[in-house]
Amino acid sequence: MAAADVVEAPQEFNPSAWDWNTILTLSLILLVILVIARAFDIGSLTEKISGKRIVSSHKINGWIAIVFLVLGLIGVWYEMVYHGKYVMVGNAASEHGATYDSMFMWTFGFTFVVFIVTEVLLFYFMFRYSYREDRKALYYFHNNKLEVIWTIVPAIVLTFLVLRGFNTWSKITSSDNEDAQEIEVFAYQFGWKARYAGADGKFGDNSFTFISGTNPLGLAVEGSVDELTQSLNDEIAALEALVASADDSAAVWKARLVNFEAQGRQRAYPEEYKKIREMAMDAESGAYVRGLEKEIKRKSTNVKRIAKFRADEKMFNKAGYDDKVVTEIVLVKNQPYVFKFRARDVIHSAYMPEFRAQMNCVPGMSTQFAFTPIKTTDEARAEKGNPEYDYYLYCNKICGAAHYNMKIKITVVDNQAQYESWLAQQAPVVAPVEAPAAPVAPEAPAAPETPAVAIN
Amino acid sequence: MSTAALHAEHEAHHEHKESFISKYVFSMDHKMISKQFLITGIIMGMIGMIMSLLFRLQLAWPDDQFSIIEMLLGKWGVDGKLDPNFYMGLVTIHGTIMVFYVLTAGLSGTFSNLLIPLQVGARDMASPFMNMLSYWFFFMSSVVLLISVGVETGPASGGWTVYPPLSALDKAMPGSGLGMTLWLVAIVLFIVSSLLGGINYISTVLNQRTKGMSMNRMPLTIWAFFFTAVLGLLSFPVLLGAGLFLIFDRSFGTSFYLSDIYLEGVGALENIGGSPVLYQHLFWFLGHPEVYIILMPALGITSEVISNNARKPIFGYTAMIISLLGISFLSFIVWGHHMFITGMNPFLGSVFMILTLIIAVPSAVKAFNYLTTLWRGNLRFTPAMLFSIGLVSFFISGGLTGIYLGNAALDIQMHDSYFVVAHFHLVMGSAAIFGMFAGIYHWFPRMYGRMMNNTLGYFHFWITFITAYLVFFPMHFMGLAGVPRRYYQFTLVEDFDVWVDVNKLITVSAIIAGFAQLLFLYNFFISIFRGKKSAQNPWGANTLEWTSPIDVRLHGNWPGELPTVYRGPYEYSRPDREEDFFPQHIPDESAPEVLETEKSKKAPAEKEAEAETSVFFAAVKRVFGLG
Ligand code: HEM
Ligand SMILES: [Cu+2]
Ligand SMILES: [Cu+2]
Repeated sequence: MAAADVVEAPQEFNPSAWDWNTILTLSLILLVILVIARAFDIGSLTEKISGKRIVSSHKINGWIAIVFLVLGLIGVWYEMVYHGKYVMVGNAASEHGATYDSMFMWTFGFTFVVFIVTEVLLFYFMFRYSYREDRKALYYFHNNKLEVIWTIVPAIVLTFLVLRGFNTWSKITSSDNEDAQEIEVFAYQFGWKARYAGADGKFGDNSFTFISGTNPLGLAVEGSVDELTQSLNDEIAALEALVASADDSAAVWKARLVNFEAQGRQRAYPEEYKKIREMAMDAESGAYVRGLEKEIKRKSTNVKRIAKFRADEKMFNKAGYDDKVVTEIVLVKNQPYVFKFRARDVIHSAYMPEFRAQMNCVPGMSTQFAFTPIKTTDEARAEKGNPEYDYYLYCNKICGAAHYNMKIKITVVDNQAQYESWLAQQAPVVAPVEAPAAPVAPEAPAAPETPAVAIN
Repeated sequence: MSTAALHAEHEAHHEHKESFISKYVFSMDHKMISKQFLITGIIMGMIGMIMSLLFRLQLAWPDDQFSIIEMLLGKWGVDGKLDPNFYMGLVTIHGTIMVFYVLTAGLSGTFSNLLIPLQVGARDMASPFMNMLSYWFFFMSSVVLLISVGVETGPASGGWTVYPPLSALDKAMPGSGLGMTLWLVAIVLFIVSSLLGGINYISTVLNQRTKGMSMNRMPLTIWAFFFTAVLGLLSFPVLLGAGLFLIFDRSFGTSFYLSDIYLEGVGALENIGGSPVLYQHLFWFLGHPEVYIILMPALGITSEVISNNARKPIFGYTAMIISLLGISFLSFIVWGHHMFITGMNPFLGSVFMILTLIIAVPSAVKAFNYLTTLWRGNLRFTPAMLFSIGLVSFFISGGLTGIYLGNAALDIQMHDSYFVVAHFHLVMGSAAIFGMFAGIYHWFPRMYGRMMNNTLGYFHFWITFITAYLVFFPMHFMGLAGVPRRYYQFTLVEDFDVWVDVNKLITVSAIIAGFAQLLFLYNFFISIFRGKKSAQNPWGANTLEWTSPIDVRLHGNWPGELPTVYRGPYEYSRPDREEDFFPQHIPDESAPEVLETEKSKKAPAEKEAEAETSVFFAAVKRVFGLG
């Protein structure tokens, strides 16, 4: 409560009052129910069985069941009408989407019928067969014919759904389209990047060991990779220096701790005190040095791995220098695409609901999904009557604190020309300042290397 | 050992006065252990529910501040706003608590413990000592899990499935630090508890049945508990393995699940060669059976309660058992339906799709059998009966959406959307919770010798039933509109704005549902002390638990000889009898064998139970000290 007084209320209504009022109101209602329950305590069943008293609670519950059924059906209908219209069906923006939607409708048809019939029967039975003293239930153990029927019929329906589902699934997952353009979609905490091959139509190689602040996708770019090696070596040297002076630093921390305690400041500055004490303890126990050594080991492994790759000329063939790494996905209507997914830290999932497409992005494992967009962003906007509307790719696998805000815009344009003019505006990957410095065997049928200005 | 000898031993046992500790704390009496499981389960359930209400507040009013959040959560709720990391933590612990602590231990632990010995006519579990250990491991596990919520970096936050690498790297999110370590410790303890319990349930059912209680005369509750225990025994060890590998990856630098990782702020990690997807296979090899471990006991309880209160034999007793068996078997080979979009081979996806949809058949059989049992019954609406019928309704509603999700093609769109949340909360969450409530209301007299208040039960049922549908039904539409789950808020995506009102409706309903549970708590705890004294057989039931005296606490269940069983458990409303029930232990001297039940045609087989004691069972008996 106190805290709510401190913050100035940004809304006109007072939220702190809001939750306490709610709790109070609900508690009062509870009390009323308790009183009602006590007052109308409908005789307990024990009495009923021994004392042969007709207890009307059965009738009452039977009636409530019917009321619930009617209101429930109205509710279902209401939901279908008012929220059903947001359900993504019949408006897919991808070619396979239509197949998907038809599969959905078949499933919906069957399940909805079963849902209505069984639920209606359930609540109707509650009403129809509620307890009466003068009636005896039917002594009825089984009926083989009936049971066979309701085993076989669902089996047939499910076989149908399975076969259809199998077809749909195979159609969606078979991605052997020769004309499909590849796009790499790269996931990280917390964002997406897309990579398009440049004019050569080829993607450059990559490795997670190459990733650095300036090279988030870990592309095999000589300059950037060498820079990373350099900075890793510097860091290792710095860490080694720390290890060398560890004894001194332990002494320093200890002295600081003693000093701090001597001055009796631990009360006034608990956070600082905690930190100092931790450092002193780590220094003493050797945890500090062990931590440093672990870091050194990790970094030198990385350096070693980079060095191994660095010797691989195929990897550093510059095919990727003209790749475009972009923060928006642009697609051309009716052009088939294969998305190649990569993730660098944890599992993410590329979810494109309008296109009925989803695929996990897994570190250390490449995954893919193919589809053909059939509706441009403009068409979707017109359809929705919302000129601001955009397609998005969302992250759909829990990946950390900002999971809920990890998305990238998808724009579907009408023709190749629009796409190309967009792509032309995007900067290529290469950092040309470093390019001349790299000792390259001039093996590529190099297009005259434009000593372009550093773009970044 | 003969019954007489057991009896004698029991008498001797009864002589000494039990201390408080051995009676209430380290009790080896299955009835007391069952109460311990129940109370712990209820407490955990309350905690899990309050967590869900807290994060539901965030979803419904993402821009508002709630003093209650600041008050309860301290630094995670500064200015009355739930921290995104802690939101994830709450969702994760909510899921973990509900799935494992309430609906696995709370449900199976309570009712398997209470009913297996009482309904098969045994003096106690096969190994009372292991049974006690089972509870205390569960208790320790609960404590560790709750402690993990309070650690400085927050509890595990990667979702209840804790997929690595997120859960393996403490730099990937704060919850993957100490909180995750404690989560793993808690789960390991939990698995130990579950295995100790399961072994006991299985051996008791196989070995300790009283005279005449052949397998085909066992109540469906027992069948359900039995299959559940088998599932747990076969699948929990796999989770243990998965968890151990995760512990190795986290603490000892192995790379079972890790490969090619670069972490912002750290750099490239050394691990190569592991596979995050491997973890998912291992996890779901438990995870899918787990949903049936949750659901089957609830279905068993429902069968018993519906038959008893419809005053009508359960329809298709054999079909019910066969479908339980079918579900149990199939549940081991469908785990891949949780992984359709992990990039696994599409052909494998097809196989999992086919197997998954096959499970729908035995499930459908069960639903139809429940309906037919109600048809032309004489339905007594006790609270237990209402909750059972509620279960059937949820089981149908939630089960049908499984047909969408089991279809690999449809799952492309629906995976991890709110449709999934709706599906599993109905079919597993609500259905199993309702089964648990049904069990509590039905067997409360057997546990405490007193009755719960019916009218409060009615209020509890109808409010909970209606609000549960209000909470979970609209979520289908959100999911179908492409709203992802595990999102801290939706306002950052313009498209999701239309769901703001729905989210408010859901949260308000959930809060009402939460308050309705106070009715239950009040009813439960007051009735323990002040409830009306129960008759010996208050529901006019056939099963043996109502023949053991309910007004005195007997370690050994029956004062004299164990009851002998003469027929199946569902002989309700026999036309040749005046009363509408016919308890299993009453010999039918005069009753003519005219009825179309196959069970009644067989003469009461005295030797049957004995004959089944094969070498294997004898060995099992010896091992568990039954001599
Ligand atoms: C008061 C009733 C309940 C409410 C309001 C509620 C609500 C929710 C919500 C909103 C989520 C988060 C969904 C997401 O963002 O992914 C969730 C997750 C979950 N709930 Fe519940 N729930 C309730 C009861 C239950 C019960 C009875 C179960 C038992 C099975 C359960 C099991 C789960 C599980 C397994 C998750 C997934 C956690 C995760 O994503 O890791 N819940 N619940
Ligand atoms: Cu993500
Ligand atoms: Cu499953």
